[in-house]
Amino acid sequence: MEATREIYWNVGHGWTTLVPMYLLTIAAIGVLVYGGMQRLKVYRLGKPIDRTDDLWQRIVDATVTVLRQAKVIRVRWPGLAHGAFFWSFVVLFIGTALIVLQADFTDLLFDIKFLKGTFYKIFSISLDIAGLVALLGLGALFVRRYLLQASTLESTWNDAFMHGLLFLILLTGFVIEGARMAVTELGTPLSYWSPVGLVFAKAMAGIGGTGLQQLHVFTWWFHLLLVMVFIISIPFTKFRHIVTIAANMVLADRGPIGKLQTIELENEETENFGAVHLADLTWKDIFDTDACIKCQRCQDRCPAYTTDKPLSPMKVIDDLGRVAFSPVPDANLIETVGRDALWSCTTCRACQDICPAGIEHVGKIVEMRRNLVLMEGEFPGDEVMTAMEATEVNGNPLGMGYASRGDWAENLGIKTLAEEPEVDILYFVGCYASFDKRNIAVARSFVSLCQAAGIKVGILGKEEKCCGEPMRKMGNEYLYQSQAMENIETIKAYGVKKIVTTCPHCYNTLEKDYRDLGLETEVVSYVVFLEQLVASGRLQLKTDGFSCTYHDSCYLGRHNGIYQPPRALIARAGGVVTEMARNRDQAFCCSAGGGRILAEEKMGSRINIKRVQMATEAKAAVLVSNCPFCLTMFEDGVKGAGVEESLRPRDIAEILAERIVQPAARG
Amino acid sequence: MNILVCIKQVPDMESKFNVNGEGSWYDSADLAWRMNEYDEYAVEQAVQLKEQAGGDLTVLCIGPERVKETMKKALAMGCDRGVHVADDDSFKKDPFSIASIIAEHAKVKSYDVIFTGMQSQDRGSAQVGVLAAETLGIPSVTTIVGFVFEGGKITVKRELEGGVKAVVKLPVPALVTCQLGLNTPRYPTLPNIMKAKKKEMLTVPVAELLKTSAVQETKTIYFPEKKGGGLILEGDIGELADKLIKILKDKTAVLA
Amino acid sequence: MQGGVYDLIAFANKVGAESAMFLVGSDGELPKYEGTVYLADVAACGEYNPDVHKQLLLEIIAKVKPDMVIFCHSSYGWDLAPRVANALKAGQVSEVVDFVDGLPVVPVCNSKLRRKVAVTTATTVLTLQAGAFSLADDPTGTPTVEKISAGGTGRIEFAGYEYAEKGGVDLTKAAVIVSAGRGIGKPENIAIVAGLAKALKGEYGASRPVVDAEWAEHNRQVGTTGQTVSPKLYVACGISGAIQHLAGMKKSEFIVAINTDKDAPIGEVADVLVVADLKQFIPVLTEKIEAM
Repeated sequence: MEATREIYWNVGHGWTTLVPMYLLTIAAIGVLVYGGMQRLKVYRLGKPIDRTDDLWQRIVDATVTVLRQAKVIRVRWPGLAHGAFFWSFVVLFIGTALIVLQADFTDLLFDIKFLKGTFYKIFSISLDIAGLVALLGLGALFVRRYLLQASTLESTWNDAFMHGLLFLILLTGFVIEGARMAVTELGTPLSYWSPVGLVFAKAMAGIGGTGLQQLHVFTWWFHLLLVMVFIISIPFTKFRHIVTIAANMVLADRGPIGKLQTIELENEETENFGAVHLADLTWKDIFDTDACIKCQRCQDRCPAYTTDKPLSPMKVIDDLGRVAFSPVPDANLIETVGRDALWSCTTCRACQDICPAGIEHVGKIVEMRRNLVLMEGEFPGDEVMTAMEATEVNGNPLGMGYASRGDWAENLGIKTLAEEPEVDILYFVGCYASFDKRNIAVARSFVSLCQAAGIKVGILGKEEKCCGEPMRKMGNEYLYQSQAMENIETIKAYGVKKIVTTCPHCYNTLEKDYRDLGLETEVVSYVVFLEQLVASGRLQLKTDGFSCTYHDSCYLGRHNGIYQPPRALIARAGGVVTEMARNRDQAFCCSAGGGRILAEEKMGSRINIKRVQMATEAKAAVLVSNCPFCLTMFEDGVKGAGVEESLRPRDIAEILAERIVQPAARG
Repeated sequence: MNILVCIKQVPDMESKFNVNGEGSWYDSADLAWRMNEYDEYAVEQAVQLKEQAGGDLTVLCIGPERVKETMKKALAMGCDRGVHVADDDSFKKDPFSIASIIAEHAKVKSYDVIFTGMQSQDRGSAQVGVLAAETLGIPSVTTIVGFVFEGGKITVKRELEGGVKAVVKLPVPALVTCQLGLNTPRYPTLPNIMKAKKKEMLTVPVAELLKTSAVQETKTIYFPEKKGGGLILEGDIGELADKLIKILKDKTAVLA
Repeated sequence: MQGGVYDLIAFANKVGAESAMFLVGSDGELPKYEGTVYLADVAACGEYNPDVHKQLLLEIIAKVKPDMVIFCHSSYGWDLAPRVANALKAGQVSEVVDFVDGLPVVPVCNSKLRRKVAVTTATTVLTLQAGAFSLADDPTGTPTVEKISAGGTGRIEFAGYEYAEKGGVDLTKAAVIVSAGRGIGKPENIAIVAGLAKALKGEYGASRPVVDAEWAEHNRQVGTTGQTVSPKLYVACGISGAIQHLAGMKKSEFIVAINTDKDAPIGEVADVLVVADLKQFIPVLTEKIEAM
């Protein structure tokens, strides 16, 4: 006899089964749709934003991401447990769908059965093992949630309900299978194609034929009922993530990474800027809140949260969600989230980068900051307001006279574009490298590297303004745009062909944010630029061994994925990098992003000291970084951590400049 | 309530200063301009008073075309209208002339309260407010760090030396000059910046308001000898202390 | 005796002028001065009332007919001088720091520049910067006292004094700030810095790393992420001079840095850089100042 089984064995395939089953199913799907529509109404309270361009590609990409569980398994063990469960569930879902397809369609209508023979054997063993793996995955997640991390993971009735329901569905599935097999398959070779079912069958064999049949019918209906409960509960429990996260992958921000929405400031119709009420957010922002499953990955990585500041990216999303889905969703978002939480963000993007649900935290925080700054004139402290005013007057937040911006370059043999517009690159210096003695050393190092490679460097000197990044991230879009427009006008007027920056904040801003305001010039980060010069042989370096650890700044790293070029440069210079535990996309912020460079860190412990301590754990003598803000924070941090004797913060350009082989000496 | 606030545009003190060709004032090249710090306190207090008591708030500024930028900030902070006394030579005007111009403008406007900064950051004469009040014949208080308007009367705190403040009451009309510590000037909101662009800005040629002549003039302006000029002291601890004390006595007033 | 009286005498001596003095005070506390003191009783008009004091002064001026009326550039002087100048139709020059070729010299733009001023009226009114003129020798002499009394009440009503709260520190108002940087080594050494601040009648401040390390409270942090200050004297002790710190204190009128590193960035803004170990140097300096 060909290997197969009778679908609806024992339950019966008559109207008494099909009618209640399909009525139940229709009812359950009805509730699902109703629940979904209710939530859809809430999403639609948000402002429009286009997230369906290039829809097919979005769907393809999202499907791949979801099927690969690519984001979930970035945190390995819990991720793999979820992956195991997910992949198994997919198999079980396909299996169930095949059964429905055969029993209620192809067989019923056309007498076509495909669940037979070898295909049935594969079908059977696949489902059997999937059920087991799903149980194991679920068990692992259960152990993690309720035993290993009971104190750190927040667990509510929602989690208990989900664990319980899924466990029961899987268990009843095996009971049904076991009961059926005990009666029909025990002792046949086919039973080995359902090994787990066989275990259940052997365990239940003693019940006897009638008892097994009664148990089978009862469990079958109970199992069906559980599945209906599952369907119904999707919109009302965290099960909704099955739909919302999958959708969120489709609706993802397709970059450029970390580019903020540019506000149209001159529009006289606009009465409100930034977000303070739900309607100020986009529908995607509201949808995001429904995708959160509170896995805490964001919170675990948040530099503010882990240094005891009142910000948890997860809580921000949760707060917004609670407002959105409250009966009257008109609560003040800023009051709900809390000012201190909003101001604490360094926009390091660790949250957004790791989020398996594709939630965009940073943009929401900046939108609320925009409301505080543009509508209320509020800042995290007077020192920030002073920096804003200083920028208005002198084009830098340090309050230095604008006319001395180019003074650092005296006697270096480089000219301003006003003096000599024909150059290979425009070096966009940035405020810190222009005015801060420590960072001027970096600027001078970079210039000497360029000169050794025969690159003709020009600067804007007093015509350069702050790129506006810290102001923008603090919410001051108006000041940002006025700085940006002046810079863009100047750069365009000189017909610059290529811009190189030594500041990742300048880089990210010019390369991404300035595009909305009309900058078209190529922008390159100095680490990439120098790496190309070295690779092409234009720049030659001595190999002079040293050991160091390397800090990936948030804006070269997570924002731009520039991880390899700096490491290649260090290796060329003879450096051996001992990585910190948290490196590359997992790197920990220095504390100064998001405009926090302008603000006093009043709450919790110091982020920069924490990062310096991580560097000391790598047991290297030098902490190499690539960002003026990071360097400044680490110079303070090594003092704060009391390790200024043993750990020296340096910029990568300084290390390289010490190892230049001058063209004349190349022989 | 009819309120006037008088402001001045000054160079940012971090600017690179140079002496002009005639040696009579600083050169205006390479300077970044901003509102005189003390006038920011004056504007803030004036706006707060207007918000409390209602009425109309005029901001007055004397100077060349560029001062309008600074006036816009005052308008964005909440002033209702601007009076720009156009004068390309305002930097040459002595405190008496400036005060006369303000008084000439104010005498027909019946302002209830006039606010000025306690002094300008560039000239630092600390005279204009008092001279204008004396010319107008209204009471004035200088260096205020507290301001309350209640029952038609002003109560101010006047900063004295050593952290002591005098509490003083005076009737309106009156003039007060504002000092650091009075308030924290607000940061203009974006809608207010936009509105400010449309507010009334009346330009009056200085000749219409200047009816007096100067009582003093700048003979020369120059850079002082470097105070210590990055002097580096090294050597025996005791001698170093003596040397430093002598320098502090010579160059600063703190050991006097 | 309120400070400044001897500054006025010193200035009068410097310009070689005959002088008379207007003083609100009492018989028991007269300055050592060779000349006439017009004494208004402190009990009757000790509380400054501009209208009343202006009137008193104008009466004396009518009697003495001076070429020059000088005040201290203090809350009293800068308030009263313009009132008197206006009444006399006299030109006033404020915060005089020097007197060269018969002309007063005043600071411009936070003392970045100096300005020599010529007054074109018959009478000149001056206010003198505190400490700019001081007597070379200890003052001597006994004044001839002529008592005067006030009439009228004026339009301004004095309603009492308010004193600074104890404990709360406001660095932005301090005339002298002595700041501690990481170079002080350990938290106990804050006391050394605080001691010098006390001797100089100022407040002590701190750089960010010192506050970070919780060696000093937040409200003492100087720098762009703390408070921006502009005292008459700033003493930076063991502060290398990170940009945020420099931006927060470089408007100070006179800057002394005490540091072991001659090349520290603080040297760029310092008027005087003392190359020494602050733990040894500051106690000696403090002792010498206290002994003055």
